[in-house]
Amino acid sequence: MLEAKQLSKTYQGKEALKPTSFTVNKGDIFCLLGANGAGKTTTINLFLNFIQPSRGQALIGEKDVVKEPIETKKLLTYIPENLMLYPNLSGLENLEYFSGLANKKYPKEEFLKFLAEAGLQADAHDKRISTYSKGMRQKVGIALALAKDAQVLLLDEPTSGLDPKASNEFSELLTKLSKKGVATLMATHDLFRAKETGTHIGMMREGNLVEQLTTDQINHTDLEKLYLKHMN
Amino acid sequence: MIFKIARKELTEIVREGRFRITAITLFALLLAALFVSKSYYTSVNAQHSEAKKNVRSEWMEQGQKNPHSAAHYGTYAFKPKYPLSLIDNGVDKYTGVSIYLEAHKRNEAQYAAAQDQTALSRFGDLTPDFVLIFIVPLFIILIGFNAFTRERESGTLRLLKSQGVSTWKLTMGKWLGLFLPVLFIAIPVYVLAALFLANIKDYGQFSLWALTLLFGVYLIYYAVFINITLFVSSLFKKSNVAFVTLLGIWMVSCLAMPKISTAIADKLYPYPTQVEFEEQIAVDKKKGLDGHNPWNTEAKKLEEETLKKYGVDSVQQLPFNWDGFLMQEGEKHTADIYFKHYQLLKDTYVNQTNVYRSTAALSPFLPTRFLSMAICRTDYTSHWDFANAAENYRIELVGKMNGDMAANSKYGDWDYLADDKLWSSVPDFQYEPASYTTVIRQNTSNLITLLAWLLLSFAALYGAVTKMKTI
Repeated sequence: MLEAKQLSKTYQGKEALKPTSFTVNKGDIFCLLGANGAGKTTTINLFLNFIQPSRGQALIGEKDVVKEPIETKKLLTYIPENLMLYPNLSGLENLEYFSGLANKKYPKEEFLKFLAEAGLQADAHDKRISTYSKGMRQKVGIALALAKDAQVLLLDEPTSGLDPKASNEFSELLTKLSKKGVATLMATHDLFRAKETGTHIGMMREGNLVEQLTTDQINHTDLEKLYLKHMN
Repeated sequence: MIFKIARKELTEIVREGRFRITAITLFALLLAALFVSKSYYTSVNAQHSEAKKNVRSEWMEQGQKNPHSAAHYGTYAFKPKYPLSLIDNGVDKYTGVSIYLEAHKRNEAQYAAAQDQTALSRFGDLTPDFVLIFIVPLFIILIGFNAFTRERESGTLRLLKSQGVSTWKLTMGKWLGLFLPVLFIAIPVYVLAALFLANIKDYGQFSLWALTLLFGVYLIYYAVFINITLFVSSLFKKSNVAFVTLLGIWMVSCLAMPKISTAIADKLYPYPTQVEFEEQIAVDKKKGLDGHNPWNTEAKKLEEETLKKYGVDSVQQLPFNWDGFLMQEGEKHTADIYFKHYQLLKDTYVNQTNVYRSTAALSPFLPTRFLSMAICRTDYTSHWDFANAAENYRIELVGKMNGDMAANSKYGDWDYLADDKLWSSVPDFQYEPASYTTVIRQNTSNLITLLAWLLLSFAALYGAVTKMKTI
């Protein structure tokens, strides 16, 4: 569903991402681990076509994201570290608006169902976003993915700053979506969550994808050891 | 899609306190301006028709009099107050409302409203045109400066783009989101103005078509400002930078450019001062024929020629009153002098107008201002047109008086008296302003400049947003 083919990005002679290849299949949750500046966000921005690759290709559903920026975006939902919505609109209005931009129309009850499915408590649906906590906003993001019927999730540290309960709820939602066949690419610092939720792990260091493995190959302790080995 | 975006923009704008306060203030200002203008208009119009009636009855009831004395006694031409001056008073405040018409002399229009006002009037009046042309663009800037920067600053731009919306559609949605609030304010004003004008008695010149045209011009002007606002907002990362830049643009196009182009026009084509102008006319008059002085060289020459033409030896033998004839010839001569000098003034005016038209390319304010005044018939061209009509009437009136004296009295007979029959043979001064076809033809270049502003600003906006980076 997601494929990086010798994907690289150079900023003013500095290689933010060295030629990298990986694939995320339907139902996979691919977790990118690595220090800040390792190239995780760059990779995600390349898939979003917010920046253009210096070399190589980023493909979503076998389509090149540079050549078909609008088509490929129909397939994906993006949830950044801090999902920013319109503070003067309610959660429901935000969901309706952003889904509308993706040409998705539903009756109001459907939208409310998506919000409920994403775990947002009913009394918050009509409150303005300015009163929401970060966890609540991330849930609107998941509702957005549900409403859009997204096949791809691009997540940039979606759980950082969430309390363990909210973080756990978010991970459960990801697992639920992955069972529906959604391919997820997630940048994260949370080794524990990566092992628990993820199906695949990629470790990045200074623009290189230095390690790729599946989570069932490794236990928590070894994962941490491997991570620290690569980072030092 | 575009309407959905516009609706969301509107919801956001309306929920923000900033909009409510400014919109209510703006609306109140416009209403107040409209009411103030209306009461001013009604009172001026009443005075005008009253004065017109009085002047005519004075002329008709002046009793028995020598016709040339009647010409000296003279009459007044009153400049009509046009209904649309309710919206844009233009230069009317400074041009004077009536012209005294008398023998031998072309007078300027007198009694400008500005003469009666205190120094406070220098700070401007609360008129609809002030609000429409200065304040509404400011309102657009105030609600639109952060249209893109806000999305960028808060991070919603990334989410928007990740939803696969095309930037141009997003821009058009935002465009509508700015245009609709402007329309919400403009339409009630338009309707109210139409109601006011239709209910004023004696509205004569009012046409709904002209009012619609006027509003069309203003809406184009606002569209240009919306384009500029969105263009700037898409260029910058920070809202405050966009705001300051837009304020700068507003100041330059609405305050500085009009002053600069006036300065350029005055520098290139200066008007003579009143003193210079009168002196030039006096010099020319002295050189020529003096209808009241038969010993003047030009008068002597004319006498010889006339006597020869009629084959007689003295003016007493002429078949008409030589005095009357001489005075009319003098009148024709002075009329020519006035015509020449006013034509020079008019040439300067035309030259200055051309300067304004070329500088109009630098600010959308200028073509809009000129179009607005022209449609409301309160620009200098309208004033010139009126002054010329009054002068033609004066020449006709004085000619008739002198002609009557020459035909019906004997040389040296200053006791000849004319009566009502002669007075009533002079029609009342009737002035028809230039048709709208003419007005539009005179302002084609302003219209083209304004439309060019619209197209170019749209093109610039398109170029900017399609190249806009998400991060």
